[in-house]
Amino acid sequence: MADRMVFEDREQFLEGLRELVRDGVPRERIRVITPFGVPEVEEILPGTRSRVRFFALIGAAGGTVTGLAFTILTALSWPLVIGGKPIVSLPPFIIIAFALTILFGALATFAGFLLLSRLPSLQGIRSEEEHGNAFVILVEDGERR
Amino acid sequence: MAAAEKYAKVDRDVLAAMKRPGRAYLAGLAFAVLLAVMFHLLWAYQVRSGLGVVGKMHPVMWALYITNFVFWVGIAHSGTLISAVLFLFRARYRTSFNRAAEAMTVFALMVAGMFPLIHLGRSWVFYYLLPYPNQRQLWVNFRSPLVWDVFAVGTYFTVSLVFFYVGMIPDFAAAKQHVLGVRKKIYTVLSLGWQGTQKEWRHYNMLYLFLAAFATPLVASVHSVVSWDFAMSIVPGWHTTIFAPYFVAGAIFSGTAMVITLVVPMRKYLSLHEYITDDHFESIAKILLFTSLIVSYAYIVEFGLAWYGENIFERETFRYRLLGDYRYFTWTMLFCNSVVPLTLFARRLRRNTAYLFAISILVNVGMWLERFVIIVTSLSHDYDPYAWGIYKPTFVCLGVDIGSFGLFFALYLLFVKNLPVLSISEIKEHL
Amino acid sequence: MKAFLEKKGVLAALIAAAGALLAIVSLEHGPGKGGSLLLSLLFFIAVVEGCIAAAAAGTVVNARWVASVREELLSVSPLLLLSSFLLLLLIPFLDIYPWAGTPGIWLRKDFFIGRNLVFLLLAYDTARRFAAAPAGGEGTKVRAAWYLLVFVVSQSLTAFDLVMSLEYPWVSALFGGYFFIEALYGGFAVSALLYLLLHGRPAAGNAPGTRSDLSDLSILMFGFSIMWAGLFFAQYLTIWYGNIPEEVGFIARRVAASPLRELSVAVLFLLFFIPFPALLATRAKSNPYVVSAAALSILTGILIERYVFLAPVVRFSPGALMIDFACLLLLFVAVMYRRSRGAAREA
Repeated sequence: MADRMVFEDREQFLEGLRELVRDGVPRERIRVITPFGVPEVEEILPGTRSRVRFFALIGAAGGTVTGLAFTILTALSWPLVIGGKPIVSLPPFIIIAFALTILFGALATFAGFLLLSRLPSLQGIRSEEEHGNAFVILVEDGERR
Repeated sequence: MAAAEKYAKVDRDVLAAMKRPGRAYLAGLAFAVLLAVMFHLLWAYQVRSGLGVVGKMHPVMWALYITNFVFWVGIAHSGTLISAVLFLFRARYRTSFNRAAEAMTVFALMVAGMFPLIHLGRSWVFYYLLPYPNQRQLWVNFRSPLVWDVFAVGTYFTVSLVFFYVGMIPDFAAAKQHVLGVRKKIYTVLSLGWQGTQKEWRHYNMLYLFLAAFATPLVASVHSVVSWDFAMSIVPGWHTTIFAPYFVAGAIFSGTAMVITLVVPMRKYLSLHEYITDDHFESIAKILLFTSLIVSYAYIVEFGLAWYGENIFERETFRYRLLGDYRYFTWTMLFCNSVVPLTLFARRLRRNTAYLFAISILVNVGMWLERFVIIVTSLSHDYDPYAWGIYKPTFVCLGVDIGSFGLFFALYLLFVKNLPVLSISEIKEHL
Repeated sequence: MKAFLEKKGVLAALIAAAGALLAIVSLEHGPGKGGSLLLSLLFFIAVVEGCIAAAAAGTVVNARWVASVREELLSVSPLLLLSSFLLLLLIPFLDIYPWAGTPGIWLRKDFFIGRNLVFLLLAYDTARRFAAAPAGGEGTKVRAAWYLLVFVVSQSLTAFDLVMSLEYPWVSALFGGYFFIEALYGGFAVSALLYLLLHGRPAAGNAPGTRSDLSDLSILMFGFSIMWAGLFFAQYLTIWYGNIPEEVGFIARRVAASPLRELSVAVLFLLFFIPFPALLATRAKSNPYVVSAAALSILTGILIERYVFLAPVVRFSPGALMIDFACLLLLFVAVMYRRSRGAAREA
């Protein structure tokens, strides 16, 4: 028996949300659906900062390490003297490490987002529900589904 | 107007662009596709007959194909500037351009990526460039700027594609309610089942911020790496420290011009005047002016220092650029890149979209010529007078060049009719 | 102290006194005076012009943080006049330049001093006009843009003439751009320090999601640290890769032996490897200790870098250097303090 409130206007939606919180409805039971990101919702229903940023950090660090390791180790395995540059020449290897830092960082962040948001969601794809441009507040009942 | 109506209007206006195409659109698309087909046919002819049909002869072994490669990679940079860098600066005016700019980036990179392959001649052995264990004691030379290109442009394409797609996830979810049939199914799948819950938005906002933060250094680094294809050599006119920032500024310059070239007609034919205003164009025009000034500064420094030092080869190269066989190209380039954009100091001209459109075409021509001048004049006239020679482009490489524009515009026209051209959720957020 | 400084004519007297002291120190007999003066000048012209440029750049893009520190940043414009005078003091020392004996069209003593002087004076004039314009006024942005144009030329000339020609015929096309970006970088560092001195810690009551002026300045410092590193790398990579004897000598002389080798590495750390990780975290950007450490690191790095540029070619007299530097630093602080609105403001 979930409660559902649909608002067309953003301010009314925020007011309704604030009222719910004031009435003492526990925050874990309130679900909110919006057509675009509304920053005030984070103030009213604060949550932990998204952990996507850890994926970004790990991905980027992994990219740097991979870039340097890959270039240095393979250059040492196939020591071809070309252009008179040292076998392990850091300036060019830094460029490649930089590119991989960004590549792995971006891809890891995207993967983290998909993981943490549980996307793609088959339920979302198959769902026929259309909220349109409405702001919806769902209050779930006590039992976990 | 009530909020709900305003949001519905945004949906309607943006999705109106995707209704059945008119005759003008179909004619334009047909022409672009024709040019793209010509591109492929000429490439096939080149594969069959060899690289000689392109006119590349000693000493100019890098010619039009590399010019086009650098040109298209440069065009891509402005898209990332507008969508990622302006996002980090919280510039509001970005929301009307950013989807079109991101699309431009992705398509420009797709076209750019073809040119190193065509330039190879034996395109089918491109895999020699990839690192794979082999029995010939060979390995990719990571010390070569050409390999840096592979990593830099490859990274740039992947990140731009991800950024482009991520930006559209909420828009696909919004748009799927208003379309029917196959399109509805495709949008639903592409939206990944996005619902717009608080949790999703929280993660999405952080993802977008990080993608913008990752894409931003790419704007500077990718074209720096491309410029190092030239600067790492010791060819006079190429080996100079200023190439990295000079090329980056030039890339943003030509890319911004291409944004104007694409968005002015797009606004007119899709009636998006409410979303893309003259104020927005004025801001973009200011970016154009600023980058033009940086490019002019680089010209002055390069010419000045060539004459300053005791390097007779550098001095001769720049004399040849200005007064030699390719002087008309150089003068056109200087006029289009340095002189014409100065008129944008006048506010009235910044807000005149017809004028901006005309200037943008001139700037694109000027910037294409700049790459041509840098590459061809330096190669045709370097250290040893015995080795001097002239490059004359043939119909094959000119055809491939023009065809690449056809390919780009064909992709862009297809984008306009099939994907939302404005970022719906961001516009609603700022209403 | 402030009241004394604000009295009519005191500032002019102080500047004149500083000029006189520097003149006496420099013209006194002994080796290394010219080098010391040159180093001090290079650092101060960069920092002074950079401060004004930071304010001008912020004005042109309607940055929010400019309002908090605009007055103080622009108060240093009279020092540009002093710098012009000090440039004239360099005339007896122009023989340290390798081209002095064989002048050409561009590199000859009169034109050399003349063009640098003209642009320093122009910088002073445009800075004064910009400072005189009201903060949010109509023509202010135009005046800021004019100053920025002159700033770019002035710093480029400083780079190409005062520093690059010391190693004639060595050429690096990026040198001009490198100097004016560094000057801007230093300007933002000074702006951050000024903000902290004037306004203290940003209010804790800021709503989440809004950025304080301090974190705006930190973001600028962070971005410019990356930009500086990019320009440094572009120059280094091109010279390293080409490996041409005419170019490599410049770097080789500065990294071959101690102490210059350690100082060069120190410069890298001070200008990038310290500010970048320090300012990476969002919370660090509003932390006054982290920000002031980063800013001081940046300013020290610029000073040491100028020293490293000059050291293989120019002799320094340590005593003269200390006097020149201390004198200019005190003057800089005094001028800003005079214009400052005082600390302990309410959030």
